[in-house]
Amino acid sequence: MSSAPVSSAAEPELQRAESLLGPDAQRRLSRAARLSAIAAALWLPQAAALAWGIAGWAEDAPLSRTLWMALVFALLGLLRAQGDALASRLAYRAADQVLHAQRQALLDREALRLGGASSGALSALLTEKLAVLGPWITRYRPAMARARLLPLLYLAVILTISWAAGLVLLVAGPLIPVFMALVGMAAKDASQKQMVEVGAMNTLLIDRISALPDLLLLNAAAASRAEFAARAEGLRERTMAVLRVAFLSSTVLELFSALGVAMVAVYVGFSLLGEITIGTWGLFGPGLTLFQGIFLLLLAPDFFQPLRDLAAAWHDRAAAEAVAEELGDLRQDRLVPVLGQGGDAPPLPGPAAISLRGVSVRRGEQVVTLPDIEISPGESLALRGASGVGKSTALDVVAGLLVSETGQTRVAGHALVDDTADAWRARIAYIPQEVHIPDMTLRTFLTGDSTSEVPPEALHRARATRIVAALPEGLETVLGESGAGVSGGEARRLLLARALIRGADVILADEPTADLDATTGAAIIEVLQGLCAEGRTVVVATHDPALAAAMGRALDLEAAQC
Amino acid sequence: MLKLWQVLRLLWRAHPAAMWRGALLAVLVLLMGAALLGLSGWFITATGLAGIAGVGIAFDVFRPSAGVRGLALGRAAARYGERLLTHDATLRALAALRVTLLARLERFPVAELRRLRGASALTRITADVDALDGVVLRLALPISAALLTHAAVFLGLWALTSHAVAISVAAGYLLGGGLVLWRVGRATLGLSARAESATQDLRRRAIGLFRGRREAILQGALPRWRAGLDATEAEARAAMDELDRIDSGAGMALSTIITLIVAGVFALAGWLVVEADLDPALGAIGVFVALALGETLLPLRRGMAEIGRMRDAAGRVLAEPPARNLKRLSESSPAVVPGKAVLELRHLSLARPGWSRLLLHDLSFALAPGETLALRGASGLGKSTLLDVIAGLEPVTAGEVSLLDRPLATWPETDLREVLTLVPQRAALVSGTVLENLALARPGLTEAEAVAALEAVHLAQTVGARGGLSSPLGEGGAGLSGGQARRLVLARALLRRPKMLLLDEPTEGLDAETAREVLAGIRKFLPDAAIVTASHRAAELEAADQVIDLKSYIPES
Repeated sequence: MSSAPVSSAAEPELQRAESLLGPDAQRRLSRAARLSAIAAALWLPQAAALAWGIAGWAEDAPLSRTLWMALVFALLGLLRAQGDALASRLAYRAADQVLHAQRQALLDREALRLGGASSGALSALLTEKLAVLGPWITRYRPAMARARLLPLLYLAVILTISWAAGLVLLVAGPLIPVFMALVGMAAKDASQKQMVEVGAMNTLLIDRISALPDLLLLNAAAASRAEFAARAEGLRERTMAVLRVAFLSSTVLELFSALGVAMVAVYVGFSLLGEITIGTWGLFGPGLTLFQGIFLLLLAPDFFQPLRDLAAAWHDRAAAEAVAEELGDLRQDRLVPVLGQGGDAPPLPGPAAISLRGVSVRRGEQVVTLPDIEISPGESLALRGASGVGKSTALDVVAGLLVSETGQTRVAGHALVDDTADAWRARIAYIPQEVHIPDMTLRTFLTGDSTSEVPPEALHRARATRIVAALPEGLETVLGESGAGVSGGEARRLLLARALIRGADVILADEPTADLDATTGAAIIEVLQGLCAEGRTVVVATHDPALAAAMGRALDLEAAQC
Repeated sequence: MLKLWQVLRLLWRAHPAAMWRGALLAVLVLLMGAALLGLSGWFITATGLAGIAGVGIAFDVFRPSAGVRGLALGRAAARYGERLLTHDATLRALAALRVTLLARLERFPVAELRRLRGASALTRITADVDALDGVVLRLALPISAALLTHAAVFLGLWALTSHAVAISVAAGYLLGGGLVLWRVGRATLGLSARAESATQDLRRRAIGLFRGRREAILQGALPRWRAGLDATEAEARAAMDELDRIDSGAGMALSTIITLIVAGVFALAGWLVVEADLDPALGAIGVFVALALGETLLPLRRGMAEIGRMRDAAGRVLAEPPARNLKRLSESSPAVVPGKAVLELRHLSLARPGWSRLLLHDLSFALAPGETLALRGASGLGKSTLLDVIAGLEPVTAGEVSLLDRPLATWPETDLREVLTLVPQRAALVSGTVLENLALARPGLTEAEAVAALEAVHLAQTVGARGGLSSPLGEGGAGLSGGQARRLVLARALLRRPKMLLLDEPTEGLDAETAREVLAGIRKFLPDAAIVTASHRAAELEAADQVIDLKSYIPES
């Protein structure tokens, strides 16, 4: 296939998106692109068949000539339809393969990296944004292949018939790089601007729906709706002002092709009448033959068609490029994944001793250095200190969620590394400050599956019996974003109940009494004390003097550091 | 399908003139395309014939060649107009659809709307309205433009060429194209809805996995969550692949039909020419026009393939709000004895919405104008639920609530909101200026009134420093700190000058000193209002005339 340097200027920018295609997809895509270009090139013999048949009408040729040509035209047309469909399926499969591979890679990497991009941004990337690669692969790439092959091929054929018609097309579809630049500007401007404005309208809508409960309470819903309508109208006017200009440039493009076709038609007409005798090579007499004339007329629009297809697909490339860039940035993020795979493992054997020596951790730009911490099995320890001193960091290091840059962490007599982290976490219950309860039933949340029994005494000991009893469907209530809500204090007690049910013997709790009223706080302290009393190791990070006092030992991180 | 029709009417009515003009230009573009190719074909064949016959000099070349140029230019111009008008009409339709959606949502109970605030519910709504954009652009406009074009072309071919040619073109396109498109619509009806719901499911699971990944890692459950997500992805991919298979099959079928129509007309015209029933140049018109009309058919399949998805989205967007049973529940409650109280509760019991177990029982109190009552109690005892009940958002389980000597249940919604204002714990601001946010509470608000309200909540200085009343806020009031947003919400409530003000955790996020000042400011701004606060902070308890500890009303279990 010809690889004329149609748009070599645009190539280097493309590399980022290009790098997302695996060799397999790349191969499939090349085949799809080739097939699509070849199918489109079948128009050449189809046009010749039509032209030959119609020219025969003027020469009183027998009907059989038309019928044969009609048959050739139809058969080639069927072949072309098949080729197109095959190419589009191939391109779709390539796109599907790339999307799947990218999704898997994103999940493999990001599910194990905490604290980087927000969950909203990651899921948007995984769903809507990655999907943008689809049109780039299925539309832009084949369009590009056609734009490289077909105009040159048509031009070559047209030039062999008439240099004048070829010249007209060269002038009308001016120097192709200029044409391409125009195409790019036109399509990019229009589509991008419009996408932005539609996006703005959706943002405004989400804003209003979120505020709707309050608006109803203020009797302001109707007024707000009127205001929304007014703002949407303003948005429309601004968008239209932009679009009027943007569409103009694509109209210029269309105008070139329309004029090119019209001029070829007029030239052919005059040449056939014998009024123009120049412009041909003179092999079949002074002017064009009728066959040549009709053939030229049928080819001229298709000389421009690939370029117009490419123009229509142009913004797909820009969009894919933006996504590729975002993926690239994410990949270059220096965030270190957690230790282990986050999978199920038999609990790590050995007494629950914890030792941190010379540990320092990178958190964003800064490095947090922790003091040496030694915790014996069954001990209870409160980590104290001002915000930002590293209390939560220490808990995360112990849980294998943060990887230290220097020093060593040992747990239960083993080094805490990738191979031991999952097994170690099987012994841990971690109560974070902000409890995130996933969309699942309370029973599944507590026991890990949907059928296991929940021992009542575990709920009782965690002061959670009342919470469960008050839920509309008890243990079968679905919690989380889409389900029933529980307050922060209730969620922490449910987590403690889960620690008891799962038999965790190491309890890590980050500010378990923060933002709670005194009664709820006291209840949580009591539960933690009960856990220590039966020999579990308890480490809390806290500001709360009452909680610190209830622990066997307190370690002031700031003091220890100096 | 009824809902889809409703959506179409709604969108079309947003600006019927713009829609019609757009449709008309779309037809014009298609017609000019057909005419351009037909005329060129005729021109070249006719000149060819004249050349062969040696009568070239007598041939009128001026008008046809001017026609070719005119059509070429006119088509580019019409295309420009069509794109502008249809985009304009679509933008109007987009706005209309969203406004209608808002109006419908307004009729939903507040409790239900609060649930909509989650990210996945909101993306679902926007995905639905986006799907419906296609009803006009990809379905109604191209189909009606195609039909009108074919009607006009039929008449043109009937008059210019042979009747047989006109009938073959029309019948081929309408029957062949119609059949393929109808089958596409049918085959994808359930499928596109399934693909859409699998995609939404994937989005939901992705949000769940990324938001809960820390928890999943700690529980050793990451591979299990991941497996669930992978299964959903596989399901979505399978549905999408099937859709693409149908789509490319339909593309092939349509191209085949166009090819067969052109070949058929070609053969037919050739036969008519040989039989001397048709001038060769006119026969060429038939062939070229049949070829050009392919343009009317190909764009339709995408819209047809989306019908299932659009239908489901229409069903959700136009869903009727559930009937409110709030009023009927307690309409039979006995008339309240007139008194002086703004608010009176008698033997009230309540449960959290949807929950069977009672939260509080046998609660009674009365509140006179100018009095403040503080509800205290640990989190989860039902402070917010009680405020919701008093605000008429949730039904009373047992007992009576009366407001200004009238049973709460008999208050019409609008009247109730005029005298009673609730500031919930998670009150939201909107994007716009500070003044616009305040004016939501009172349309036609003057700057002086706005400043007075801001002063009452000790926010005037902050707002002044940010650039005054016209300083803009981002989405959901972004740009203000938690404490500032809280105070702006309070100022907004004050501007309604309610007789009954309910405040849920009004001073959350404020330091003790500011909290006291803000509460004093509120009382000064509304000296005669009855105020109920729910809080466990000292400032609210100090500012109250009465304090009720909800702990005393927990039912024995």
